[in-house]
Amino acid sequence: MKKPTTLSLAKLLLANPWGFIIPVITGVASSIAGVALLGVSGWFISAAGLATALGTALVFNYLTPGAIVRGLAILRTAGRYGEQVTAHNHLLGLLRTLRLWVWDQRVAKPIADLHQQSRGDLLQRLVSDLDQIIRWPLVVFLPWLYALLGYVGVSIFAYFIDPVLLWLLGIAALCHLVVLPYVCGRFASHAVHVGQILGVHRRGRFVSLFSALITLTIRGHWQDYAARLEQLDNRQKRMEVVIQQAISLGRLLAYMVTIGLLASVFLLLGDFQTDTSEASAMSWQLKDQVSGTWLVGLVLALLAVNELVLPLVQSFVAQGQSQVGLRRLNQIQQDAPPVSASALEKLTHLSLRDWRGYHLASGMGNQAIDLELNTGDSLWLRGVSGSGKSTLLASIAGDCLATGKAYVNQDECGIYDNPNFQGQLSYLPQSPYVFQQSIAANLMLGKADASDAEMWAVLEAVALADWVRGLDNGLSTLLSSQGRDLSGGQRKRLVLARLLLRRAPLLLLDEPFDGLDKATIERICHALQHDYQPDMLILVSHIDSPLSEQARVIEL
Amino acid sequence: MAGRKAVSKASKSKRIKTPEAGFLAELATQQSAQYRLAQGFGVLFAVALVLQAWAFANVFSDMVLQQAFSLSFLFLALFALLLRALANYGRERVCASASRHIRYGLRHKLIAHLTQLGPARLRIEEDAALSTRVYEQVDALDDYFSRYKPQVFMVTLIPSVILLSVAPVSWVAFLVFMLTAPLVIVFMIFVGYKAAQANRRQFNVLAMLSNQFMDLSQGLAELKRLGRTPAARDRLSNSAKAYQKTTMSVLLLAFLSTATLELFASISIAMIALYLGLGLLEILPWQVGTAPVTLTQAMFLLLLAPEFYLPLRQLGNDYHAKQKAEAAATDLMSILDTPLSVETTSESTTDYVPSSAQLAYLSFYELAWQDTGRQRLAPITGNILKGERVWLSGESGVGKSSLLHLLLGFEENYQGQLYIKGKAFSTLNLKDWRNKLAWLPQTPEWVNGSIRRNLLLGITEPDESCIQKALQDSQCADFIAALPNGLDTALTELGSGLSGGQMQRLSIARALLSKADVWLLDEPCSGLDTDTADAVLNTLETVSRGKTLLIVSHDTHPIHWADKHWSLNKEGLDESTGGLDEKANYAIPR
Repeated sequence: MKKPTTLSLAKLLLANPWGFIIPVITGVASSIAGVALLGVSGWFISAAGLATALGTALVFNYLTPGAIVRGLAILRTAGRYGEQVTAHNHLLGLLRTLRLWVWDQRVAKPIADLHQQSRGDLLQRLVSDLDQIIRWPLVVFLPWLYALLGYVGVSIFAYFIDPVLLWLLGIAALCHLVVLPYVCGRFASHAVHVGQILGVHRRGRFVSLFSALITLTIRGHWQDYAARLEQLDNRQKRMEVVIQQAISLGRLLAYMVTIGLLASVFLLLGDFQTDTSEASAMSWQLKDQVSGTWLVGLVLALLAVNELVLPLVQSFVAQGQSQVGLRRLNQIQQDAPPVSASALEKLTHLSLRDWRGYHLASGMGNQAIDLELNTGDSLWLRGVSGSGKSTLLASIAGDCLATGKAYVNQDECGIYDNPNFQGQLSYLPQSPYVFQQSIAANLMLGKADASDAEMWAVLEAVALADWVRGLDNGLSTLLSSQGRDLSGGQRKRLVLARLLLRRAPLLLLDEPFDGLDKATIERICHALQHDYQPDMLILVSHIDSPLSEQARVIEL
Repeated sequence: MAGRKAVSKASKSKRIKTPEAGFLAELATQQSAQYRLAQGFGVLFAVALVLQAWAFANVFSDMVLQQAFSLSFLFLALFALLLRALANYGRERVCASASRHIRYGLRHKLIAHLTQLGPARLRIEEDAALSTRVYEQVDALDDYFSRYKPQVFMVTLIPSVILLSVAPVSWVAFLVFMLTAPLVIVFMIFVGYKAAQANRRQFNVLAMLSNQFMDLSQGLAELKRLGRTPAARDRLSNSAKAYQKTTMSVLLLAFLSTATLELFASISIAMIALYLGLGLLEILPWQVGTAPVTLTQAMFLLLLAPEFYLPLRQLGNDYHAKQKAEAAATDLMSILDTPLSVETTSESTTDYVPSSAQLAYLSFYELAWQDTGRQRLAPITGNILKGERVWLSGESGVGKSSLLHLLLGFEENYQGQLYIKGKAFSTLNLKDWRNKLAWLPQTPEWVNGSIRRNLLLGITEPDESCIQKALQDSQCADFIAALPNGLDTALTELGSGLSGGQMQRLSIARALLSKADVWLLDEPCSGLDTDTADAVLNTLETVSRGKTLLIVSHDTHPIHWADKHWSLNKEGLDESTGGLDEKANYAIPR
């Protein structure tokens, strides 16, 4: 399957045309059968009544229409069932395709932007956008198609009664299928849009206020701030009212159009009759060429089409939401995947000239430095806070932008976001990520075929083995989302264990000892100086440790 | 009908069984007046439905038999259609507004609850995730309250009304409806129950899949560094594929329930149509030669037949609304179920006040905090005199922060006694007490706004010289002077480029300006490098003289100038005088 580069609603429809065609066909069959069921049974009963009245009941062929009615009933059911099953199959396939699309875009993204994106709720929104968008073909497109085909079916029927009815049906179809959904969609789209912006704003304010909750509370000021949060909520509420109004009014108007259509059908096909035998009621005489039985069928079919049309307004308002989501998804779209440079030989020498790592957003970073690193070297980066130690380390890890030149094994080499270079190093950032998988799976990310013995050994090295042994499921214990059930120190050590399994030549550690006691620090240092000693080590730490005693110090 | 009632009762009692359903039902009762109004519209809708069918039936039969019909019937029919549209409109509006009121009320309640929980809220989730619950999850209840809930009533109303109006017209049709309705319901229960289970499982697995995607995406940078993105992509793709396969077999069954319903509805409509047609032809096997119904009556029955089953089918379609709501309810309940600190019961009513507590400013006597079986703070006894500065250290998770939260007044559900100036904590006016406090946590708390606004949060504006003095004392003056906008520089959550040390100094300035007597500090120096931390601690030492101060700090940042050092462990408190304690207990955290 061809991978779409930018997303659009049309592309969604065509993403898997064969998967989509079955639900469309079954759905169409079911909808038309539903409309025809009412029409044919109406005609059948009126014809039967008429036959009796005329005394031709005995020659009336009731078997064929009876069979048709039953057939239509079964077709409608089977069609609906087939549609639901195949449509869901299609939907799941679409979900997979889109998720992989988002994944690919994010993988192709330069790593510095990625950090920005992974933070906060942006990702959460992306995921819910995906769920919103994949429903579009099923919630918006298909119902519209069914209604359209319902109208086409009724029009063919109407043509045989009186071709002049086509005009009426055309106008009604235009109102029902185009004008009303469009107008209501437009009317609501502003509110949908404002609502989305308000939503983001509201969430931002929520997080900002709650992060200062205690200070605000003990200063007795919380009420004022909570009131402002409430204000935003009320504005959001008003937007919701507008959207709801648009939907309800649209539906009411759709009813009106149907009523108008029915009235005009009767008007066109009859004449006012004054000289009736009954004095009380005024009556309406049908034109001669119009058969009453057929007209009954038509009116019933129109009522059935009305049911198909009613949900359209709502789905077109919902479309506004899909479009907002789609725009957001397209923002993460990434054109060029990074060109993979040629493979590197084992890293034995790294030198940086005039090297300055900096953050894209703020431009903050370290003072430019020169740095030389050979096998067997360890380096301790020190400096006051704000001197850019972490930024420098991240830039050496290829995680962060930098100026200056880097030489790997004497050859000049671009190390930013270079997967080949990153294959040679292990980098422990300040807030490392623990996956919501088992402990073993987390460790195996460092070495795919690590044995149990290897894992226990490395856990021992980072002083986590006792803790893991104490868990009911040992290595296969599932960790909660983002390692929330681990303490900060445990999380760091677990990730360190994963990195040690990789045995990459270069090890970069950013404040590995934060929140650890002396005994643990000593144990980890011992491991790093013996069994798990890397070829080269760069350490950022504000704590003295046995590891830093032997290291060359660079003051920033 | 009796059968249906029994069923609805059974399903009602089933609903109450799960706590989520109970929670949702309780929310719905808040708007019972609105829902009654919606039910009124529902009745109007049902009446209009019957009226419309009756009027159209007359129009149709006259039209067929005489090629002419009475205009008044046509007007009546169209009027009934209009009435139906209006009743539907009214019902929608009322239900939407009920749903809005419930949701916005609930949100208000959630925010109030989270506020009262204070620091304890972080035990549920971090703030960003909480905001998702408060906003998105609450909105996920919309479909339930605006569609599913009112539809449950319509499911009983419309078939009942139709049955009542059909009974005088044709007993056979009445019987067909009567016989199929319980069958439909029985099938809904048998197949639907299985389907609901399957549906629920599918819902859970889908959520799991989303979770997996979220998790891998969040750690994408890590995966990239480890060079494991292709493996993760395969994993995503495979689990999605496998999921699609297994789900489809589940769905085949799940949709069978809807299909059965549809089939029953369709077959019954067809059966009624056939019965009516044959009856009109006077060739029904058991009454050849006579018509059991007139054409008008036949039309009437035919028009009502689909409407009889429609609400049931819609309910089936709205079933996922219920599921979505229950999933959201689980998350929301976990917020509301997190207990607020309740006034302490009998334990603290002892009149005995230890004599030492009468002298001390802060006094703990066997103070402990046991929360849902977990010990958050071991029983501790100790006194802090006015103007005394205490360094509290200990392993993580031993309850250092919990003690501070108790003092902040966010947790009153403690055991043992806590006295402030010889008065039991529970008898204090919390507002007055909190006014005496200054709070300096690990990450300083800031709201969006200028530095000045943040410094003066909640205090009457002092004159400029006071502000300058506080800035001087906390050694903020220099770097603030260097800022282009000085005190009017905006602070965002990110801190507008100030370093961690500078932010801590600003907190100190804020504490000074608030004239608080009691300073509570929770690891103000973690995250700062040693030099910066030492400098900040030095500043703290000079400005906090004369204040009563309780500072939580790790052994890596000893507080040399403290009057007392309390080392907290799982057994209780070890007290030593002076700041440096060489016996500090190093153990593996947790």
